Amino acid sequence: MRPARTPGWGVASTLAAPALALLIALTVSTAVLAAVGASPSRTYLTMLEFGVRPDSLVSAVNRSAIYFFAGLAVAVSFRMNLFNIGVEGQYRFAALLAAAAGTSFDLPGPLHLAVVCLVAVLAGALWAGIAAVLKTWRGVSEVLSTLLLNYVATAVIAFLLAEVFAAGSATGSTPELPPSARLPELDGLLALLGVSLPAGAHLGGAVLGAVVLGVAVHLLLTRTLYGYDLRMSGLNPAAAHAHGIDPRRMIIITMLVSGGLAGLAGLPDLLGNTYRYGVDFPSGAGFTGIAVALLGRNSPLGIALSALLFGFLERSALILDIEGIPKEIVTIMQGVIVISVVVAHELARRMDRRRTARLVREGAPATPTAPATPAGPAA
Amino acid sequence: MPRLFAARLLTTCLTLSVVAACGATGGGTTAGPASGESRAGAGKITVGVAYSRGGRGDKSFNDSVGAGVDQAKAKLGVSAKELSPNAAGSDLEEVLRLLAETGHNPVLAVGFFYAQPLAKVAPAFPHTQFVIIDDATVKLPNVTNVTFREEQASYLVGAAAALKSSTGRIGFVGGVQTPPQEKFIAGYTAGARKIKPGIHISSVFLSQPPDFSGFSSPDKAQEAARGMYDDGADIVYHAAGASGLGVFQAAKAAGKWAIGVDVDQRKTVGQGLADVILTSATKQLDVAVLRIIQDAAAGKPVYGLQEFGLKEGGVGYTTTGGELGDAEPRIEELRKQIIAGEITVPVSPS
Amino acid sequence: MSPHAVHEPPPLVELRGIGKRYPGVVANRDVNLAVHPGQIHAVVGENGAGKSTLMRILYGEEQPDEGELLLDGETVRLRSPADAIAAGIGMVHQHFMLAENLTVLENVILGAENTRWGLLDRRSGRRAVREVSERYGLDVDPDATVEHLGVGQRQRVEILKVLYRGARVLIFDEPTAVLVPGEVRALFGSLAGLRAQGLAVVFISHKLDEVLAVSDHITVIRAGASVGSFATADADPRRLSRLIVGGELPAPAARRRGGGGEVVLRLRGLRAEAVADATLEVAQGEILGIAGVQGNGQTELIEAIMGIRAVSGGSLHIAGREATHLGTRGRRRLGLACIPEDRHRQALALPATLWENAMLGSEDLRRRSRWRVDRKAARDATGRLVAGFGIRSPSVDVPAAALSGGNQQKLVVGRELGGRPKVLLAAHPTRGVDVGAQAVIWERLRDARDDGLAVLLVGADLDELLGLSDRVQVMLRGRLSPAVPVGELTVERLGRMMTGAEPEPVDSAAENR
Repeated sequence: MRPARTPGWGVASTLAAPALALLIALTVSTAVLAAVGASPSRTYLTMLEFGVRPDSLVSAVNRSAIYFFAGLAVAVSFRMNLFNIGVEGQYRFAALLAAAAGTSFDLPGPLHLAVVCLVAVLAGALWAGIAAVLKTWRGVSEVLSTLLLNYVATAVIAFLLAEVFAAGSATGSTPELPPSARLPELDGLLALLGVSLPAGAHLGGAVLGAVVLGVAVHLLLTRTLYGYDLRMSGLNPAAAHAHGIDPRRMIIITMLVSGGLAGLAGLPDLLGNTYRYGVDFPSGAGFTGIAVALLGRNSPLGIALSALLFGFLERSALILDIEGIPKEIVTIMQGVIVISVVVAHELARRMDRRRTARLVREGAPATPTAPATPAGPAA
Repeated sequence: MPRLFAARLLTTCLTLSVVAACGATGGGTTAGPASGESRAGAGKITVGVAYSRGGRGDKSFNDSVGAGVDQAKAKLGVSAKELSPNAAGSDLEEVLRLLAETGHNPVLAVGFFYAQPLAKVAPAFPHTQFVIIDDATVKLPNVTNVTFREEQASYLVGAAAALKSSTGRIGFVGGVQTPPQEKFIAGYTAGARKIKPGIHISSVFLSQPPDFSGFSSPDKAQEAARGMYDDGADIVYHAAGASGLGVFQAAKAAGKWAIGVDVDQRKTVGQGLADVILTSATKQLDVAVLRIIQDAAAGKPVYGLQEFGLKEGGVGYTTTGGELGDAEPRIEELRKQIIAGEITVPVSPS
Repeated sequence: MSPHAVHEPPPLVELRGIGKRYPGVVANRDVNLAVHPGQIHAVVGENGAGKSTLMRILYGEEQPDEGELLLDGETVRLRSPADAIAAGIGMVHQHFMLAENLTVLENVILGAENTRWGLLDRRSGRRAVREVSERYGLDVDPDATVEHLGVGQRQRVEILKVLYRGARVLIFDEPTAVLVPGEVRALFGSLAGLRAQGLAVVFISHKLDEVLAVSDHITVIRAGASVGSFATADADPRRLSRLIVGGELPAPAARRRGGGGEVVLRLRGLRAEAVADATLEVAQGEILGIAGVQGNGQTELIEAIMGIRAVSGGSLHIAGREATHLGTRGRRRLGLACIPEDRHRQALALPATLWENAMLGSEDLRRRSRWRVDRKAARDATGRLVAGFGIRSPSVDVPAAALSGGNQQKLVVGRELGGRPKVLLAAHPTRGVDVGAQAVIWERLRDARDDGLAVLLVGADLDELLGLSDRVQVMLRGRLSPAVPVGELTVERLGRMMTGAEPEPVDSAAENR
């Protein structure tokens, strides 16, 4: 999965894949734009001009926090060769419970916020845990169960909203969260750095949370015993099992961690934007998260970058309608980027393998017996 | 390549500041004509339209608004910019803000989903008129709330269904189970019960939020309607947007009646299916939109709640094809009673 | 180093003065090889000696930097395997390249189909395949699905594929590595059939007994160069092994009678899938060998003891403690270690670094890494392991995939012994490794045994079993025979016991209990 820490070509190949992917994506997008009769250069320039406006950047960053959490959730499961494609249902379920919990009691500021976040994490983990238990107990493929649980979540949420949490509400949503349960805005922090935002643009507190969590997850994956076990189980489950890493335990823990992270994906909107969960709560981040994780190659830093890219693309898509360019082009672009990354990474992996073989021939006078490297997770 | 890119980035940044400046002045000037005389203002206003998810082309809600906008363009000579949010519905606020800051006035927010975003955006643009359709909750000085009394139209078609049904069983197919949709089933039920208190009404919603596929799933609608017809219902009313086509197909197959919604569907749906449509509960979105834009263009924007009911000609029922026949006088009688305030139609199911 | 007989026909294929350099390393230099029709020509050498590179050149996968390749006495250039196939050179790969869910016929003609009016002509294909298989005595049903075939039959399909494409020179890359003894005999029969038809066979191996048994001529490759070429009849095993390793060939001899210590692994009627009532005891300081034809439950037995296969009955004690219901980690904590039979599947995560692999299953390093993986300790420990076992690697941060098979296995053995276990399960510990690594591994196992380690050794190599074990039990159809002291055994007797031809010894194991 990850090349050897050998200076020089290791770095080059890490950068080569995304660069190649962007190039492919740009070529395909240009062709599509030309095919629909829009000027590619005008489209890109328009997007870029609009996208780098300060308020656009803030909006892109805010949006990316959501995708970051969702992408991280997917990536953790990918590392274990588990495909949690149920982040969508997990985060919406978690957001509903967090919204309901946040309005049902009162606590002083930070504590209230912390409890709401905790509820979201636990609810997300609970929903993902169903798939984990089904897999370890009955061998049900998590691909199926997490996907189907998305639909179950939709029905359960509709029921809970209609009958319990929003019963009798005209708006069909939970009551608004009190200010003590809302995320602070970071505009003051930016002001300290000498950046002032245009009116109406606010940098959400979730961004700070995303940075902290990203570092934490990075440490979890690379520095802890759990991260080590996860990596080995992902690379070779049979070998890990044979050396005392219980696969069922790893599946349960990993799905819980993944679901817990997924639970956070609803919070930037819930605690920084809508303050209530209703039928109009933004959806779809869970599926975008899959693409973000693929693009980010399952590493927190990569996911952060790809989340920012997705946020940027979606924000700059807004302007295209105004300019009379079909903005669906951006959705196509996102899809093409993800596919290109998969293709480019496969190419880079083959290059790597040849170079590794050569490196060992140089480093030690032994011809490697062409190692049959198992393909990493399709991710 | 990197140098080229850097150069382009630099030009972009420069252009950007110019664009931003233009945007700012644009926003300033459009605030003016609101008080200017009508003829001078008419040419200048540019309407911003933020559609609900799906955008134009849904042959229903958004398209009806679009029809009003098109009429305004043709009759009043105004220009318009029409935007749609992304599929996730996560950029509603940004769409409104973008339209406002690029100098569009008035800005139409199509659908109650815009209520919360609008409450945030409107105060930031005090000189821009915002018009929200199907929502009465946002109460701000520069906001116009346009609502329709769909329950009144539904009441009348409910009565029509009860009058024309021979089996004593009728049905209702809703799109997505949201509060505004409940007005339809509430009015329909009340109207039918008014005629036949013991009538059996079966109802179904095709999807639950946030799954909005119920407005665009003719297959599901056909399945649901077929079930109702098989169960003995002989008239099914739909309020399911583009899914309604499926109801008509089921009606055609079963040789029974269906009731259309929003527009006179007997005219809009293809020849083959028109025969099955008994009547349609209309909602004159275009009339309302045109009137609002007209007022704005004339420099006399109206704010606050604007209700369009039977009285205002905002909703109604159709008699195209003459299928209602002898039931028509009774329905007309009910219509007058509602306008006169003798009948109050409930807005939520009892 | 020219062909030794002047009036023989010219070689079918000849390599002259082949040299191949990769940046910084010479893989081949001045290699000469002449293969005649009707000849089985063995190319022997340690892993990493340059055999693979040479064969890649012969098969058109690599271009030589120096020297020339002659076919029927004429210089040719092979730019790709397609060129080689067109020139009549075919390769039977060690890892089969077959489509599991297609039939033998479909696999054979895949990529070289006869078509009629653009449609697949199965009839002529089947006729051709039948004809080829009959001519060379390769008995395979053309309509059988490959997934139902055994390893030996699959290999025959590979051979058919090559013959169907008209090969006159067949390269066999370590063909016996994947076969059990019976299948090896069948393969040798097939090779003889090919020879009888006048084809040339290039047979790559590092197993001397096989080479001596089947080949007509031997060429030895060492450190990239051909260092000797002679008729097999003239070959002396000891001289041959000296040529291969450049020194003395180690043998699993020089054993010391072990046993007598405390019993640290005890199985009582252990049952699992494919294992019936396994009862055995291994004491400190002894090696108990488990012999048997592959597929008689040895794999399952080892996995049941390791704790990765469900046990359905009986009991298991490690170091005097009941371990039947413990998981793998619990058993390892009691002092169990294991060298699994398939290192790529169960022992190593190939894309992970050496130190990460060395940490796998290490209770010591795990204890140090309660919250934070102690990378320094892991790297240091791995460094010591690499040095101690002579593992050829530029650093402990390269992926395990970069090591040769022998070095990978040394890493596994070193890791398992490094945890100072009380009981070691060793399944085919030297399978697929070269002679040098084999010697190191044998030596370390013996040293550990002498230090008091109890070893349960599962092997297919009878010499290894007899050379290392103190006692041997035979596994047949999931059942274990009583233990027989190795002194009472010969290869022949063991072979008869393995096939069930000899009744089980009347509890001569009693004395060992």
